[in-house]
Amino acid sequence: MEQVDTEDIIRFENVSYTYPGEDGVLAINKVSFSVRKGEFLSIIGHNGSGKSTLARLMNGLLEADEGKIYVLGEDMDDPKVHRKAPSHVGIVFQNPDNQQVASIVEDDVAFGPENLGIPREEIAERVDWALRAVDMERYREGTPSRLSGGQKQRIAVAGALALKPEVLILDESTAMLDPRGRKEVIDVVKRLNEEDSMTVILITHFMEEALLSDRTIVMNRGEIVLTGTPEEIFENGESLETFNLALPRITVIANRLRGEGMHISNLLHPEQLAAEITENMHEKGIFQGESSPVADKETVSSHEWDVDIKDLSYTYSSGKKNRNSPFATKALDGVTLHIDSGEFFGIIGHTGSGKSTIIQHLNALIKLPQADRKQKVPKPKRGMPAPVLPQITVGKFNLADKKCDFKALRAAVGMVFQYPEAQLFADTVFLDVAFGLKNFRKGISQEEIEEAVRASIEVVGLNYDEVAQKSPFDLSGGQRRRVAIAGVLVTRPHILVLDEPAAGLDPKGKQEIMDLLHKVHGEWCETIIIVSHDMDEIGDNCSHVAVISEGRVFACDTPARLFARLEELKSLGLDVPLTSKTAALLKKDGYIVHNDCSVDDFAAKVTEIYAGGTAWPVM
Amino acid sequence: MASDVTFGQYYPKKSFVHNLDPRVKLLALIAFIVLLFCSYNFYSLLLCAIVLFAAIGFAKLPLGSVFRSINAVIFILVITAILNVLFHSGDHPLYEYGVIHITVEGIIFTVFLCLRLLFLVMASAVLTLTTTPVALADGIESLLGFLKVVHFPVRELALVISIALRFIPTLMDEVNRIINAQKARGADFDTGNIFKRIKALIPVLIPLLVSAFMRASDLADAMDARCYSGADKRTRYKKLTFTWRDLVVTILFAALITGVVLFNIYGSQIWPEIYWVIQVR
Repeated sequence: MEQVDTEDIIRFENVSYTYPGEDGVLAINKVSFSVRKGEFLSIIGHNGSGKSTLARLMNGLLEADEGKIYVLGEDMDDPKVHRKAPSHVGIVFQNPDNQQVASIVEDDVAFGPENLGIPREEIAERVDWALRAVDMERYREGTPSRLSGGQKQRIAVAGALALKPEVLILDESTAMLDPRGRKEVIDVVKRLNEEDSMTVILITHFMEEALLSDRTIVMNRGEIVLTGTPEEIFENGESLETFNLALPRITVIANRLRGEGMHISNLLHPEQLAAEITENMHEKGIFQGESSPVADKETVSSHEWDVDIKDLSYTYSSGKKNRNSPFATKALDGVTLHIDSGEFFGIIGHTGSGKSTIIQHLNALIKLPQADRKQKVPKPKRGMPAPVLPQITVGKFNLADKKCDFKALRAAVGMVFQYPEAQLFADTVFLDVAFGLKNFRKGISQEEIEEAVRASIEVVGLNYDEVAQKSPFDLSGGQRRRVAIAGVLVTRPHILVLDEPAAGLDPKGKQEIMDLLHKVHGEWCETIIIVSHDMDEIGDNCSHVAVISEGRVFACDTPARLFARLEELKSLGLDVPLTSKTAALLKKDGYIVHNDCSVDDFAAKVTEIYAGGTAWPVM
Repeated sequence: MASDVTFGQYYPKKSFVHNLDPRVKLLALIAFIVLLFCSYNFYSLLLCAIVLFAAIGFAKLPLGSVFRSINAVIFILVITAILNVLFHSGDHPLYEYGVIHITVEGIIFTVFLCLRLLFLVMASAVLTLTTTPVALADGIESLLGFLKVVHFPVRELALVISIALRFIPTLMDEVNRIINAQKARGADFDTGNIFKRIKALIPVLIPLLVSAFMRASDLADAMDARCYSGADKRTRYKKLTFTWRDLVVTILFAALITGVVLFNIYGSQIWPEIYWVIQVR
């Protein structure tokens, strides 16, 4: 028996694991690695690569079929060690809603120590410490269900910390959060690692998060395929693609520029990219330059399905729903927005900014007061100007009209909510996809249904003959999402609205969903409206973007013009795409790169300056 | 968006009543309910009302939050009231037609009954508004502690209650989300006969069930990861402590019980001439 290094807090030796009922499919295949004390380790890999299985083996939720696992130098085969493992290795899971046991924050944090049989006084100390560590003391008597996603996850971190573990694992704990929540959680674990020298294992899909770690492990099909510093891993972007991971965007740009003869090293940050581009320009004797302007994306629009929103305000009923809420709930405050037929329109803003409330008006899930018997239309008061009534028109539908055919409207405006796979219910994929069709078009013939269902299942990239008769619950997560989107497309909506269509997917899955949307845009539906937190996604895809902040439209413009307002967006706490960040840096060096925020256009425009240099001299 | 449950929602505040031992509050509520139904005249009922409103005052609860709890029983209340007014027999008839006879006694009885029910619901609301579900579960556990002798899993039961309460708001949100998603796919929940409407709920109930199971499995993992292995060796973070406040309340309730008993026995002698309109039989 070789000597166990005491610095190795966790050690795997040829560990294999197969989930029961999945004969022969090794979830983990002869994996060996170790985690050093005080290390910040990140694990990346596509969905189903075995990352989570690894985490569960580490804290004893699963038991290895083969091989040895040592936690703190002790063999997990020993039942005593195995039983104690969860107290040494704390874990925070993905879904912020499903990890709290108690309805009061401090009681929830105390759950772990209570289970360990720790005396009361010490539990109190641990709860104090854990809540302070995640900066949630103010909420100790609050209710988890009223907190934001990021706050809920911080409570879950506190719950794990209260066990006083040596290792903290975050198993995709940021996947369901918005950028703000993600930062909250990451900041907390980073601080724990630096100040309390907590060993942290971060399982993630986000490259920016992995970059914060000391070491990165890449998993593919149950095996560890790469290990190294995150810089080493991501700088060799190409190899990632072979492991079913998407290339980082910066690598894509670097590759393009290299293809045009520029000397760009493997890099990670926009600052590096801008500096190297400038260097290349200088070498060629180009000290300033301006690219051709952004080509207007053709909007061959008939204006047949224009969306027009005027003066839309909305307050959540202050009745019993929010009676205890200290937050006044004016969700929307005078929103005016026009979306042309044929656009790929993006809506961005923080969680709670009112984005979802706007889109729910588009298909009258929330009706305008004039058209809703249950709501009171504000009456003009004497001596006061008449109240402004909101107006919405979607194509030929006037949503302020009581007689508006709301059913036809809902058929025309398809709505895909966040995590749409949660709405699947039928016995087979076929029946689920057909659900909307049967609702909207009573008396439709069986042949027509079959034809429409087949077409929509195929357009989302699934094989009809393979999946149609399967239960939707037997499909993978990504496939279920496609089925849900097919179930909306099947009625051939003219406008397709999607709330965070790529949320929770791995980078490759995200890309596939966006590709799918481009495929249906124009051919299947005139207009696509997406709500998203991912600025790169918006920059890459959208023709116009609206920024919603605190119930108002902060700005509505093309991505190029909008994301040029870097500082203003930053003050709202919003990020900008990588291309805009780099372009802003290049501008300081004297190169004006007009681009539509997509990777392709950015690379093309930089090349243009590099090749011509004087073609567009600065005035 | 965290939606609140209309019943039993904890109203966070620091007050005398909030700080009481949940066991004392539970027992007090039981005692109060028993007293309500043992009150035979308005003197006793008035005494109960004073205690109830004092509790609301000391709990610093807005009256609205307490009265809102009545909504849940308003239907039952109205039906009982109508039946009682129409059919209660008595010596002082006001109006008779066939089987219907409205009597003075009937009206008095109805008022009495309605007040009883209202006070009952309001008192329960005071308990749930001032006590966290966790404290409530702890209280129930402690009061049922004697059942441990016969190996009844009291602690597990308390944990189950606490988890159920914790997930109610989460599942309510889920219901709203699913309903919206299915409405967007043309589902219609508002028209058609009863069978049609029940059938229309299937696309809501199945996803809800699936999600509940998924949440349960996630939660089980989370509990495992936090070393849960049965309730035997668990210690407790929050100790239920009996303080001077609880003593005050206990004495107060002893006084209330005595008061009600005395009024029941000697009520008729306070003002014998009108006693018949302030009592019920």
